[in-house]
Amino acid sequence: MTATDTATIAARLVTEPRRTTRRGRNALVGYAFIAPAVLLFLAMGLYTLVYSFGLSFAKWNGFSPTWEWVGLDNYKDLLFADPRLAPEVRNAAVNTGIAMVAVSLGTVLIALPLATLLNSITRLRGLLRSVFFLPYVTAGIAVYYAWRYVLEPQGAVNLALRSVGLGSLSRPQGFLADPDTALPALVVIMIWGSVPVAMLLYLAGLQAIDPAVIEAASLDGAGPVRRLRHITWPLLVPITVAILLLGLRDTMQGFQIFLIMTNGGPGGHTDVLGLEAYQQAFLQSLSPTLGVASALGWLIFIAALLLAVVNARLLRSRQ
Amino acid sequence: MIGNRRILAAVAAVALTLGVAACGSDDEGEATGGALTMWTFKRTHVEALQQAAAAFKAKTGTDVKIEAFTPDDVFTAKIQSAAQTKDLPDVLELHSGGEDMRVGGGGLLADLKGDFDAKLDRFLPSTRESGRVTQQRKDTIEELSGATVGSLYSVPFTAGTFGIVYANKEKLKAAGLDPTKPPATWEQFLDYLKATTTADKDQGGLSLGLKVTQTGFNWIYEQLAFAYLGQQKFEALFGKGTTAGFGSPDGVKTLDLYSQLKPYWIPGASALGIDEADIAFAQGKSAFNVGGTFTLAFLAQNNMKPENVLAFPIPPATGGAVSDLRLAPLALTGLAVTSTSANKSGATQWVDFLTSPEGAGIFAKASLDLPATDLGTQAESLIGPDLAALQQFFTGPAQNTYDAGNRGFRPPDYDEVEMGNPLLKLSPLGEADAAGTGRTLDTVIKAMWDAK
Repeated sequence: MTATDTATIAARLVTEPRRTTRRGRNALVGYAFIAPAVLLFLAMGLYTLVYSFGLSFAKWNGFSPTWEWVGLDNYKDLLFADPRLAPEVRNAAVNTGIAMVAVSLGTVLIALPLATLLNSITRLRGLLRSVFFLPYVTAGIAVYYAWRYVLEPQGAVNLALRSVGLGSLSRPQGFLADPDTALPALVVIMIWGSVPVAMLLYLAGLQAIDPAVIEAASLDGAGPVRRLRHITWPLLVPITVAILLLGLRDTMQGFQIFLIMTNGGPGGHTDVLGLEAYQQAFLQSLSPTLGVASALGWLIFIAALLLAVVNARLLRSRQ
Repeated sequence: MIGNRRILAAVAAVALTLGVAACGSDDEGEATGGALTMWTFKRTHVEALQQAAAAFKAKTGTDVKIEAFTPDDVFTAKIQSAAQTKDLPDVLELHSGGEDMRVGGGGLLADLKGDFDAKLDRFLPSTRESGRVTQQRKDTIEELSGATVGSLYSVPFTAGTFGIVYANKEKLKAAGLDPTKPPATWEQFLDYLKATTTADKDQGGLSLGLKVTQTGFNWIYEQLAFAYLGQQKFEALFGKGTTAGFGSPDGVKTLDLYSQLKPYWIPGASALGIDEADIAFAQGKSAFNVGGTFTLAFLAQNNMKPENVLAFPIPPATGGAVSDLRLAPLALTGLAVTSTSANKSGATQWVDFLTSPEGAGIFAKASLDLPATDLGTQAESLIGPDLAALQQFFTGPAQNTYDAGNRGFRPPDYDEVEMGNPLLKLSPLGEADAAGTGRTLDTVIKAMWDAK
C-alpha cells in the first residue's frame, strides 16, 4: 500500500460519516417540511373520513353526548328498508344519473367542436379562448342566482323566445318551476360551466398533434372527415375519456346548483343524491339524521370509486 | 451552516403550524360572568332584540350581544359545531315544540322550571307549556329518552299562527273589489282571485313559498280541510289504519277544494322560497300572499306599508262543518338558556326581561312580530292595529278553532315535507288529480305510522 492509497482510504473514512450525516440531515429537513401537510391531512382528512365512516353506522344529531349504534340500518333504510326514504333516494339517484350522462355528453359535444374551431383559426384565438373560458372563472353562487333571474317567468329566456316569435317554446311558469324543464335547465347550466375546461383540454390535445402527420395524410389524399375520424379523434380519445369521467364525477358529487336554484323542486324533479345527503344532515330540525347523511355520502363515494376504476381501465386499455 | 438554516426553517414551519392550530382552539380563558351572547335564526328579530338589550343594559348593566345565523341549515350547523367545541352562547332562540326539545334532550339546555314555572301565566294560554317535557313528547322524541318529565327547556317568545292571507289593497281596488272587506268564504276568496288575475294576469295571483313544499299543506290545506270537515273528521285523515283518510270521499273533497287554486298561483310560484314569495308580494308581483302572523313584519321590512295590506285567515268553504274559523296561536319560537352558560343567572334574567310585558313590548313594537307574552290592552299601541286585529281570530269555541300545535293525532314520526310534495303535484303542478293525491297521502301517512 502506497502512501497515496493510505491517504485516499483515510480521506474516505473521514468523508463517509460526513456524507451519511448530511444525507440524514437532508432527510430530516424533508420530513420537517412535509410534516405540516401530513399533520393537516391527519387532522382534517383522515380523521374526518374515519369519523364519517363510523357515523354512518350510528344515529346522531350532532350534539347529543352519545351515538346510538344501529349497524347497517342506515344503509338498509336508504336502499330499501325505509318506505319513505328509499323511494326519495331512488328518485334522487335517477335524477343524478340523468344529469351525469347529460352533462358529460353535452360537455363533449360542445367543447370538441369549439376547440376544433379555435384550433383552426389564428386571428383572435387568444381573445376567443378567454371569452369561452369566462364561464369557468365566473361560475359560482352569484352566477346561479343570475341564472335564476334569466329563467324566471318574466326572465330573459322567455322574453327572447317571445320576441323572436318562438313564444310557444316559452314556459309560462318559468323554466325552474316547470317539472318538464327544471332538470334540463340545470343540466344546461352545468354544461355551460364545464365546457371551458373541457375546451382547453381539447385545445391542448389538438395542438399536441404533430402537423406533419396531418400533412402526410392530406398528401395521401385523406379529406377533412377522414383525417378527423382516423387521425385526430383516436388521438383525442384519452382526453375525451378524462373529460367524460370528470363530468360524471363532478355531477355525481356536486349539489350546490341544485340547492341554490331549485332545492330539489318542483316536487322532487331535481332532487339529486348530494342534495339529499345535505338535506338529511342539516334540514331535519336537528333530528338524529347525521348517520343517514353519512351513509348516503359513503354510497356516493362507492359509486365514485367504481367510476375511478372504470376510468383507470379505460385509460389503460387505450395505452 | 446552510444545512442548519434549513433545519431551523423547517422546525419554524412546524412550530408555526402547531401555533396556528393552537390559536384555533376555544378561548376557555376568556372572562366569564359578564356580557351575554344570544343567537337567533331570525334576521328580522335582530334589531328589536338589540333595542331590548339596550333597555336591559340600562336596568342591569349587563351587555347582551345578539347574533343571527340564517338560513336554518346554517343555524343548525352552527349549533352542532358549537356544541362540539363548547362555544355555545348563553341564550338561544329556537323553534318551539321540537327543536328546543331535541337540543334540550341532547343536554345542551338548562332546565328553567325553577325560574319560570311561577311566571308562565304571563304568556298566552295556548303557548305556556310549549317548552315543557311531557310524557307524550318523551315517548315520541328520541332525544328526550333520558329527560325528566316536567323539565322546562324553553319559555315561549313569539307566538302566532299560519294560514293568514295578506291582500294588496291597491290591487283589490284595481280589480273593482272592496279593499276593506275580506272574503267570508273560500268561494268568495276564489272570486277575489279571479277578479285580480283578470285585472292583472301576471301580477294579480296568489304567491306562496312553494319551494318549501309543506307551506301549501300547513298554511292553506290544513285550515281549509279543518273548516270543511270539522275537528273529528279532520283528525281522522291522519289516523292509523283509517278508512276516512285523504283518499276517502271527504278527503278527496277537501283536496278538490285546494286544487281550485290552480289557475290563480303567480307564474313560477313553485320555485319561490318563503322569503322570495313574501318579497314578490311586497314588490307588487302578486295580489295575495299566504303566510303567518309573523309575515307582516317581513313585509314591512321590505317596504310594504301595513296600511296597504288587508289580512284575514284562510276562509272556510261553504257547506263545511265550520263557518267561523278560528286559529289558535301557538308558540313559534322559544328562549332557552344553555347548560354551558358561564353566567346562567344573567342569562335567566335576560330571558325574564325579554318575556316580561316591558321587554316583550319593546320587542313587539320594533319587530312587528307577536310576542307570546300577553300584552293585554297595550297590544294595539305596540304592534299596530293590523296585527292586533288579527288577534280577534285567536279566540273562539274549541270546535271552531284550528290548532296547529295539536300534534297528538298525527303519526309519531310525522314529517310535513312528505305531505307537501304530493300536494304540490296536485296544485300548482297539476301532475295528479285529487283522488290520486289522496291515495298518495294515505300511503305516506301509513308509512309514517309503520316507521320504527
